[in-house]
Amino acid sequence: MKPFLSVVLFGAAVVALVSGAGADGEISFEYHRYEELRKALVSVWLQCPTITRIYTIGESFEGRELLVLEMSDNPGTHEPGEPEFKYIANMHGNEAVGRELLIYLAQYLCNQYQQGNETIIDLIHNTRIHLMPSMNPDGFEKAASQPGEIKDWFVGRSNAQGVDLNRNFPDLDRIIYINEREGGANNHLLQNMKKAVDENTKLAPETKSVIHWIMDIPFVLSANLHGGDVVANYPYDETRTGSTHEYSASPDDVMFKSLARAYSMYNPVMSDPQRPPCRKNDDDSSFKEGITNGGAWYSVPGGMQDFNYLSSNCFEITLELSCDKFPNEDTLKNYWDQNRNSLVNYIEQVHRGVKGFVRDLQGNPISNATISVEGIYHDITTAKDGDYWRLLAPGNYKVAASAPGYLTVIKKVAVPYSPATRVDFELESLMERKEEEREELMDWWKMMSETLNF
Amino acid sequence: MASKHVGVFVLFQLLVLNVVSQTSAFPTPTASTDDKTVYNRQLTEERPLQEQIAEADSVKAALQSAESKRSAASKDAGSEQDDFTMLKSLADGQKSKETTEVPVKKEDQYVPDESDSTKSRRLAEDYDSTKNGMEYDDPESFRQVDGTPLTAEDIVQKIANKIYEEDDRGVFDRIVSKLLKLGLITDNQADTLEYQVAEALQDLISKNAKNNEIEDAVSNDQETRGEQDDQGSDTDAWEPPRRRYNEDEDEEEEDEAEDEVDRDAEEEGDAPDNTWDKGTEEGNEVSPEDGLQDLQYFPNFYRLLKSLDSEQDTQERETLITIMKTLIDFVKMMVKYGTITPEEGVSYLENLDAMIAMQTKNKLGKALVLPDFPGPNGKNLDEDDNTKAEAAKMQKEYENLKDSTKEDQPSTETNQPGKSETYLEAIRKNIEWLKKHNKDEGKDDYDLSKLKDFMDQQVDSYIEKGIIAKDEGDTIKRIYSSL
Repeated sequence: MKPFLSVVLFGAAVVALVSGAGADGEISFEYHRYEELRKALVSVWLQCPTITRIYTIGESFEGRELLVLEMSDNPGTHEPGEPEFKYIANMHGNEAVGRELLIYLAQYLCNQYQQGNETIIDLIHNTRIHLMPSMNPDGFEKAASQPGEIKDWFVGRSNAQGVDLNRNFPDLDRIIYINEREGGANNHLLQNMKKAVDENTKLAPETKSVIHWIMDIPFVLSANLHGGDVVANYPYDETRTGSTHEYSASPDDVMFKSLARAYSMYNPVMSDPQRPPCRKNDDDSSFKEGITNGGAWYSVPGGMQDFNYLSSNCFEITLELSCDKFPNEDTLKNYWDQNRNSLVNYIEQVHRGVKGFVRDLQGNPISNATISVEGIYHDITTAKDGDYWRLLAPGNYKVAASAPGYLTVIKKVAVPYSPATRVDFELESLMERKEEEREELMDWWKMMSETLNF
Repeated sequence: MASKHVGVFVLFQLLVLNVVSQTSAFPTPTASTDDKTVYNRQLTEERPLQEQIAEADSVKAALQSAESKRSAASKDAGSEQDDFTMLKSLADGQKSKETTEVPVKKEDQYVPDESDSTKSRRLAEDYDSTKNGMEYDDPESFRQVDGTPLTAEDIVQKIANKIYEEDDRGVFDRIVSKLLKLGLITDNQADTLEYQVAEALQDLISKNAKNNEIEDAVSNDQETRGEQDDQGSDTDAWEPPRRRYNEDEDEEEEDEAEDEVDRDAEEEGDAPDNTWDKGTEEGNEVSPEDGLQDLQYFPNFYRLLKSLDSEQDTQERETLITIMKTLIDFVKMMVKYGTITPEEGVSYLENLDAMIAMQTKNKLGKALVLPDFPGPNGKNLDEDDNTKAEAAKMQKEYENLKDSTKEDQPSTETNQPGKSETYLEAIRKNIEWLKKHNKDEGKDDYDLSKLKDFMDQQVDSYIEKGIIAKDEGDTIKRIYSSL
């Protein structure tokens, strides 16, 4: 019995030390299992309750909550005109660095906000940031439970049902390629989205939850965190011809390159032109300045990145952050240092291009109006408050707003690198125009009759 | 018995390793990277002394050669002789013969000031060897074997050695004020020199501490700590001279001054923390009797020890005391080196004590009997920050509650105290920020009751959604209600 006392003491001391002793700059760089992840997010919320909110978009196959920490000056509400941003990590359960980085990011943003960091304060006041550290908590538990330092390349990658979540999304690339050839919609390709999702038996619960999430919130910009290599990857992921490697440009290729670069340039490892490939025989010929087109690297059908672009207004890129999928815990601080600036700078990219409101002549918002840009065959739509955000690289554009029953309005805009240019539209409905014309006609008739004394 | 102790010490080693690996900034003798970056930072910012010298040399070299020839001819030979002696005394030491080029340049650097003839005369006056105890009077030779003066590094080393041997930082003040008065160094260089000497001194101290035997380790550690304490307060004393040199301070140096001050503030901490720190530091760590005084701040641990009264438990008792004191020392070191703030250190140790209570209760299945505490102890606790006492009280309350509602697995049980401590920390940070934020914006004090209601509401909704567990939610609510 007595020997236990010393053990007790050590146990207590170790636990206290682990939880009590804060490490560099108030962030503790260690892996978080599910409970610890939950606790970490709750702690951030407790520390910054006025700018954060935790919610869950659903449960994993084994019943773990898919937790999201939202950060904004008015958490829980979409403020008209405020763009929505998301980071999702760990959809492959054994790709662990992204998961940890998002936890550190949450802590960092909260700390910096309270310490008066103006950049962060502005960002949080003007953006609604959603952080989902793990889309596949079941997979992570499996990966993390492996004994020893070296983790298998595949154990924990898929969800608890054995589904690779990044091949599980409806393949909209195929449809867009057909439409490119034969004509058809250039966005929002998932018809009857809700029905299609709920009745699709092939979709994993995690995938379903994310699709619902994308439908509910008008995300503008997003990134998907992975591991196993170091590069910023942009659409399209699936090749047009079906070959294994082929540059597959999207209509927004220019903007996507700019977005990907905006991430890679602050990551010294990612943007290092002399960086050797992660493994000797890796083909990184498609990597330039730390970015790559998805199809040029290798074809991925059914991925979440392209699904975002083709089913909603959200632009998403894929970030590969570490050669090692599940590296040693004591490397986590390095990964944080390498990625911290990139992570923040990428969020700021949401404030680019043109944005504004589409309203009718009475000032009522018109939701689901179409915003199209001449020369870019990819339209976006307005959200519930009539607000829209169209990411564009610097240049001169003609932007058109249209809606059924309304007359289209076209405006010319000169777009700088940033911030976003405000362009509002007032649309006249067809009825109103008919009325106007009728009134004009009546007036003319009246005038005529008075003059001619009918 | 022996194997038990072996086991205990093995665990101790694990703990040490755990601590060392957890806190990467822990200043081991092998100097962690954090220490290196600190030192490197100073070095890269302060190294300019060498570079300044080199720079000044290259700029003035041309002038030098011309002027020195002229000055050699025109000036009073006597005063020049004194000057050179002065220079030699400055730039000296017993280092090995380095390249004579740099030393010669160093010499050159000081020469141009002599071009002002009035200055040189003043030099001669100040240079009355009978007036003050300048270094050149010391029996210790200040020349190199071959008579060449030495590099700036050597100077720094020499001064540091002198201070260390004489244990008198007045040495530095004397030297620097002399140099400044003579116009041989600028204010910036004086500050630079200060930092370099401090650095060198630190090195000396740690080097000497390492070189001593284990038996002397304790007393040496005391000395080291004493000296490091002196070092800490040294920087305070060095502040007045620095203020005197204030005229041409760079922004750089002001920042460093602030860093120094901040570090001091951190080291000294709040008043209650300070008294606590000082109190335990002054305690002699060798004899168990005095050691127990250290541990009086840990009521649960104290009780535990008291319960080990019998003879066969003495060894166990000793072990526990050693372990506990080591832990306290670790925490003190971490606070000293700024790895954690004093508040964190205190809360960690309070937490530890509370956890001991819980663990003993769980493992031994009995509560420890409350011995009568001497009055002053109780008073001391009260004098401490009230929120800390509250936190400890709350901790105990929470543990009591936890015991009665034993629903979770054992693993989460041991995690609970850690979790609630993190939550407590987070809530505290929020309250602090609210207070500061409202003060900054000129608003009235934040409405605590409104915040409490809001948080209660949120907590309930989170419990419902499965985001936080019921007991966690209760803890959070209780923490808020106790504010």
